[in-house]
Amino acid sequence: MTDLTEVSQLLNKVSEDPVLRTALDRAIASYWNKRKQVMERYSYIKELADEVRRIKEWSIDHMEELLGRAIEAVEAKGGRAYVAETAEEARKIIGKLVGTGKVVTKAKSMTTEELKLREFLIERGNEVYETDLGEFLVQFLGPKPMHFISPSIHLTREKVAEFLKDFMGVEVDKDDVEGMVALVRKFLRDKYFSADVGISGANAFAADEGAVFLIENESNIRLSISLPPKYIAVVGMEKVVPTMSDAWKVVEVISRYGGYKVTSYINTVMGPARRGRGDIGPEEYHVIFLDNGRREASKDPILKQTLYCLRCGACQYLCPVFGVVGGYWAGLESAYSGGIGVMWEYVTGDKETATQHAFVCLLCGRCIEACPMRINQPEVLREIRRRLMEKI
Amino acid sequence: MDLKAVKSLLEENATRTWNPLGVRESYCSKWAEGLNLPKKGDTLLYTGCLYQMIPYIQTFSGLLKRLEGLGPFISNLALTMGRLLNSLGVNITSIMGIVTSRGERERYFSILRRIANALKTAGVDFAYMKEEPYNGVLYHDLGMDELFREHVVRLAKKIRETGAKKVITVDPHTTYMLNYLIKEFVDDFDVEVVHYMDVLLERGYTPKVRGPKEVVIHDPCYLARWNGVIDQPRALLTKAGVRVREPEFSRKFTGCCGGPIESLFPSLSSKLARKRMEELKASGSPCFTVMCPICLTNFQREARELGVRVFDIMEVIE
Ligand code: SF4
Repeated sequence: MTDLTEVSQLLNKVSEDPVLRTALDRAIASYWNKRKQVMERYSYIKELADEVRRIKEWSIDHMEELLGRAIEAVEAKGGRAYVAETAEEARKIIGKLVGTGKVVTKAKSMTTEELKLREFLIERGNEVYETDLGEFLVQFLGPKPMHFISPSIHLTREKVAEFLKDFMGVEVDKDDVEGMVALVRKFLRDKYFSADVGISGANAFAADEGAVFLIENESNIRLSISLPPKYIAVVGMEKVVPTMSDAWKVVEVISRYGGYKVTSYINTVMGPARRGRGDIGPEEYHVIFLDNGRREASKDPILKQTLYCLRCGACQYLCPVFGVVGGYWAGLESAYSGGIGVMWEYVTGDKETATQHAFVCLLCGRCIEACPMRINQPEVLREIRRRLMEKI
Repeated sequence: MDLKAVKSLLEENATRTWNPLGVRESYCSKWAEGLNLPKKGDTLLYTGCLYQMIPYIQTFSGLLKRLEGLGPFISNLALTMGRLLNSLGVNITSIMGIVTSRGERERYFSILRRIANALKTAGVDFAYMKEEPYNGVLYHDLGMDELFREHVVRLAKKIRETGAKKVITVDPHTTYMLNYLIKEFVDDFDVEVVHYMDVLLERGYTPKVRGPKEVVIHDPCYLARWNGVIDQPRALLTKAGVRVREPEFSRKFTGCCGGPIESLFPSLSSKLARKRMEELKASGSPCFTVMCPICLTNFQREARELGVRVFDIMEVIE
């Protein structure tokens, strides 16, 4: 527990990997350019981010109340709501809803990564497809999603071209990114139509309307969740805000700080398709609200900040340590990455690993500058260190 | 590296010398020799000892890096051995002192002397501490709050004993600690804290060029982000006629030198230093200026291989 050797060996090793470095350098340079443009073009965004911070603070302080409102709204519309206290419980509920021998299409979702849901469902005899291009690559190339927004940030286009060539058995031009996207799209197209279940996370959840909000750029989410007859949304309890108007604000802040002038698609789902009304969409709407450490964290004056995180990925792009080791920081077992990843791992996963990785932080504070919520990661990570150091 | 061993080593060094590396307080105040400074006064120049510790940090971390390469068993053994020797009354730090070159040690004293002289020229009267305590920040960074508390309670008392109502600081970490951290641990710390650059500018001090005429500026994280001292070094450099080049990541978005994790992750720390230095180099000059002893030492180590030179701001101007 107190020996940091493994952490240091892992990080030293990956920091010497030239492919990782090239991939990170490109992604970070591109993000920084986009970010500067977005900040200039949408100068009001900082104010909106401040407003969202207030919405999140209120929501986390009223988590139970909002949860009650959300459950009521989902069920009033004919959906089913569940509260899972642990990852285990969530897997059990979802496992039952999916069954075995089914085809599942998935939207990219960190919360389902936290549950190791894909692995779990596959083990139970289902066919599961990640439909986000980056996450699709991670499904086959591993080792884990390396960034909130850009899970395959560790892969260069050269690597991807090589993989697709093998996987699809066709010639692939490494400079034709659009062409590669099209290839994967074509492969997935059939899956959407044959899928029995669609699963997503949520970028925000409006309690009063019982509505899931999902941002995306590839139109894969709308296909994976509207075509299959059954839809399951996995919602971390911190995602719930009071109203749709609040959720819209959250969504705008996420996409702008994620480096997008606009995201191509924003989906909201508010209930199942109503029979006999000609509605198109899944007839079953299941929402799993996931606790898994969030309730406890909401009562901890310092750890609580973790729950304000919108998972926009800005701090990861701009963290100096991340720039050298990418998502390996927080460890290969964690679904999460970087300093904020260590915090999320501490809240939802393995506290020991998270504590060891907490010592890697420089406490330099660039993440605070990057973050729309101005989350003080150095403060939280130092607190995690303190909790260990006082015991040993 | 094993945290238990690190913790015990730090605690033992603190018990012996109030310094994480065992550097003596009487050594830390050597910069003031010959300056005829009083020991009491309204204003105190408190250095926090980081500049003075640079040669020791360099020797120590060079050692750690080599040990890290030899594997966990050896590096933990070395930490334990260090403690053992300590307990036998062998002062490793003074052995390290022999290893570090005299010229090196002199360099960091002279930076402090230049700050003192500039303040004097600007008409500031100030006192110094004959036994100058370390700033305690490492303990806080590592989450060793009890040791930090003990350390800063004593520090606050020592500052009070000088009669100072105002403390002038020279490095970002000490500045931040006195402005913010100490207040969480010491109830009645009501001394005004100012960075020396603010004092110089307020007094209308005009420096002269001493080093290169063109430099790339590297904002230290704790100076720019945590203390908001951003325009001041630029103003001083410009006043002296030095041309300042801005790197892509500067001011509030400055990039860390990697120094803060150098004691636990020495190899990773030097990779971070290199990456930042490449960014700096890309802004068009092989001469960098920094305003923090941690940045200075972490960059210094990689400087030769990258073909660049690293200066403290007080080596560029005077
Ligand atoms: S901590 Fe802040 S910047 Fe980082 S992912 Fe969360 S909201 Fe975005």
